[in-house]
Amino acid sequence: MSLAQVLFYIMSFISLASALFVASTKNLVRSIFMFFITLFALAGLYVLALADFVAITQIVIYVGGILVLILFAFMLSGKETLNAITQQRKAFISLRKIPAILLAALFLIVLVNMIFKVDANNLAWIRRSIEARNDITPSSAMTENIGVSLMTNYLLPFEAISILLMIALVGAAHLSRKGARP
Amino acid sequence: MKDFLNAIDTLTIHFTLAAVLMPLLAFIINISFPTKWNKVSGWVSTIAILTSAVLSAFVFAKVWNSHEVHQSQLWFTIGDTKVQAGILLNNLSVLMLLLVNLIALPVHIYSTAYMKDDESYNRYFAYLSFFCFSMLALVVADNLVLFYIFWELVGFSSYLLIGFWYKRHKAIVANKKAFIMNRIGDMGLLIAIIILFAQYHTFDIAQLFADKGLIFQSIIKNGVWTAPSAHLPAIWQYLACGGIFLGVAAKSAQFPLHTWLPDAMEGPTSISALIHAATMVAAGVFLLGRVYPMFNDAELTILAVIGCFTAFMAATIALTQNDLKRILAYSTISQLGFMIMAMGIGAYASSLFHLVTHAFFKCLLFLVAGIVIHQMAHIRDDNGLDIDPQNIQNMGGLRKKLPFTFAAALVGALALAALPLTSGFLSKDGILVQAFAWTENRNVVLRLVPIFAVLTSWLTVFYIARVIVKVFFGELRVAQLSPGLKIDVSDGGLLYKVPLFLLAACCFFPLFSLNPFSYDASWVYKGFPGISDDTGFAIVLPGVINIGGLLIIYFSYAIYTGKRANPFPQQGALFNLACNEWYFDDIYNKIIVKPLVILSRATFWFDRRVIDGFVSVLARAGIALSKLSSWFDRHIIDGFLNLLVAIVRGIGNFARRFQGGKVQYYLFSMLVVILILFILKTLV
Amino acid sequence: MISLTDFLVVSAVLFCIGLYMVVSKHNAIQILIGIELMLNAAILNLVAFGKYDLFNNAGQMFALFAIVLAAATTAVALAIILNVYRQYKTIDPGKVDQLKD
Repeated sequence: MSLAQVLFYIMSFISLASALFVASTKNLVRSIFMFFITLFALAGLYVLALADFVAITQIVIYVGGILVLILFAFMLSGKETLNAITQQRKAFISLRKIPAILLAALFLIVLVNMIFKVDANNLAWIRRSIEARNDITPSSAMTENIGVSLMTNYLLPFEAISILLMIALVGAAHLSRKGARP
Repeated sequence: MKDFLNAIDTLTIHFTLAAVLMPLLAFIINISFPTKWNKVSGWVSTIAILTSAVLSAFVFAKVWNSHEVHQSQLWFTIGDTKVQAGILLNNLSVLMLLLVNLIALPVHIYSTAYMKDDESYNRYFAYLSFFCFSMLALVVADNLVLFYIFWELVGFSSYLLIGFWYKRHKAIVANKKAFIMNRIGDMGLLIAIIILFAQYHTFDIAQLFADKGLIFQSIIKNGVWTAPSAHLPAIWQYLACGGIFLGVAAKSAQFPLHTWLPDAMEGPTSISALIHAATMVAAGVFLLGRVYPMFNDAELTILAVIGCFTAFMAATIALTQNDLKRILAYSTISQLGFMIMAMGIGAYASSLFHLVTHAFFKCLLFLVAGIVIHQMAHIRDDNGLDIDPQNIQNMGGLRKKLPFTFAAALVGALALAALPLTSGFLSKDGILVQAFAWTENRNVVLRLVPIFAVLTSWLTVFYIARVIVKVFFGELRVAQLSPGLKIDVSDGGLLYKVPLFLLAACCFFPLFSLNPFSYDASWVYKGFPGISDDTGFAIVLPGVINIGGLLIIYFSYAIYTGKRANPFPQQGALFNLACNEWYFDDIYNKIIVKPLVILSRATFWFDRRVIDGFVSVLARAGIALSKLSSWFDRHIIDGFLNLLVAIVRGIGNFARRFQGGKVQYYLFSMLVVILILFILKTLV
Repeated sequence: MISLTDFLVVSAVLFCIGLYMVVSKHNAIQILIGIELMLNAAILNLVAFGKYDLFNNAGQMFALFAIVLAAATTAVALAIILNVYRQYKTIDPGKVDQLKD
């Protein structure tokens, strides 16, 4: 077992465990901060998948942007929400959660079943890609590659997504403006 | 000329109609007025009857001894029979019309004073006017159906007035008795009318009973009753006569239906004077006068015997009674018996003559009795005594206290006793003389009839003398029993005196005949077909009877003022028989009333237990059945429906949850569907 | 070497956890977190498959786009949550089921 594999399992464990904690805890604050850990662990997993730029972006945007936004939303949504949340029932598995758990479990079974059926490692295009040396190796200079791709192959999606982002931000700012709504 | 006569006749008819309708108008006004305008009603009725009296006097003057006036118009049609309704005026009806009005007028005036303290003053006058209307309509009706209607109305108003003081138990019992007795008679009359209609196909009195009318033309031969248009077995003719006799007996209080009249004295005394002495009870005699041609010789004989028996029986009872009004009531029965007897012996004119004279003097006597009773009640209330104001044993010596009343009573009593110079002498002696004439050529038993009539006439003298002496002579017995009484009595005002004076004036001979000793010189007598008597009775008999009468008067005066010892035993079989009114009430109670009550109790029991029981069993079964079906309905049918409803509601609720606006639920169901698709795709 | 299947399994588990959160939570913020988890599972898949596409580099590119989109989504979602809270005084989507004001 190589170090990469060990790291992978550790990262997977951390991310899954923290995700489970996020899902199960009653405390919204703890849940949000545990989600922070999940995102970090996922960034680690991206690194292990040889996507260091994505990992950095993950940390910058998610941890630096989205999580902060969520915290803002939590704080802005007031004290009552907090009280309501702390007063929720203590039972770990309440009866109302059973359908959701069942659904999630069944989904998991279906998905895992499908993943094993597909046998992703031996897919035809993956084999061809390995044979054609088209796979990423740890030594590949990915950041440069991404920069070039963005400005060439993916220029249109890049521009589209930037406009979208701007629209979203303007819209969000408009939506969350207090009062004086038409 | 003929047209002119017709116009006069029409005017007469209109006057008659107005005379009849005036009291009805008064009745309507009186019942419409509120009770607090009480005092007006007396004058309304009195003015109405005064108008009516004037009109009827005019009608009388036009029709009496002139031609018959008859006008009618179509009333209704049954099958081919057209029933006419109208007015028939002949000597008999105009005489009755005038008589009723002449009696009713003083009684109205008297009543305004007599009833003034009664709280139901206007009800009294409403009833009184209603009675007058019915009676007047009865005498002028030209049609048996109309006649029957008013006959019933007269009986009904009599019923109302007997029970006028409806809070007294005795009055209620009395009016019930009168009503039931009259009902028996009405039934007889109705049967007779129906039989007559079946035979002659008409209700018209003029057609039926006129001279040479339908009745005159029909004969009974070999057990068949033959009329111009039809024939029936003779038994129907007997039944019809029997029915009419029942009607007469009930209305005129003849044996065997006489027992209601004494009890009817529970009504106000003025009512007794008008209805139960002078007018309504005479309706029976009037009916006999109307249908007189129907009766054949044998039937008339039966009438005579019954009339004579009633007269004698009632006179004996009157001897022993102590209640002032009851004595007068029995006297009325007795005099009505005379009239019926006179009808029976063929003394048609005398009978009606006696009816007229009797009406005046009996009404007078009743009004006197009313004053006496009022004053006795006055003494009783002033001194707080517990006496019966109607009992003559408590009276006496009122001659000095009530001089005017005494004079009026004396006149009435003399007329009743049929002493010369009075109207009663003319009419009653006519009957007696004709009764003796009638018995010639008849068998021995029937010869007893006039003898009993004479006896009755003497008994009449005796009992009326007893009443006068006991009430007006001697000393006031109440005062003797409990000395120191405050006695404050008087004749009363003009409202009492004027009627008494008018009636007393009518009790003397000049009103009826210029010759005080000959009945056949009287205009009333001449107005009707009578039998001529050329026997010697007319000269001898009145003298004998009146000498006997005078002796009896002296005798009774002597007895009851205490100058002589009373020679009659105050007990014993005969006394008890008379005192208990010949036990008629007891016999009727035992023979008819009790079995009827037992029968009705039995049928009531049967009805309650058997029929009601059956019905209630049915009802229970019905209830059980309906409970069962209700259970079935509730649980099976409703259950089925409820199940359907529950299913639909479940489906609805189920479907509703998908549209509840819960975003997570939408997502959840969407994911479930995707999952199912996945699983199906994997498995299949 | 880390096999592709391992990544896929991790991402599947992560996705299911996100799914569970989205369906069961009564708090819009937690639901948003669930959505983020699911997005991350998808990004993990993209990245894992993108390893076999060096020249086009489509996996990583779209992972980046997805991250940016997630940021935009979150911004709008948070704005909406704030508005909903202002309107209904709650952020439980189960209770926000009225169309009228």
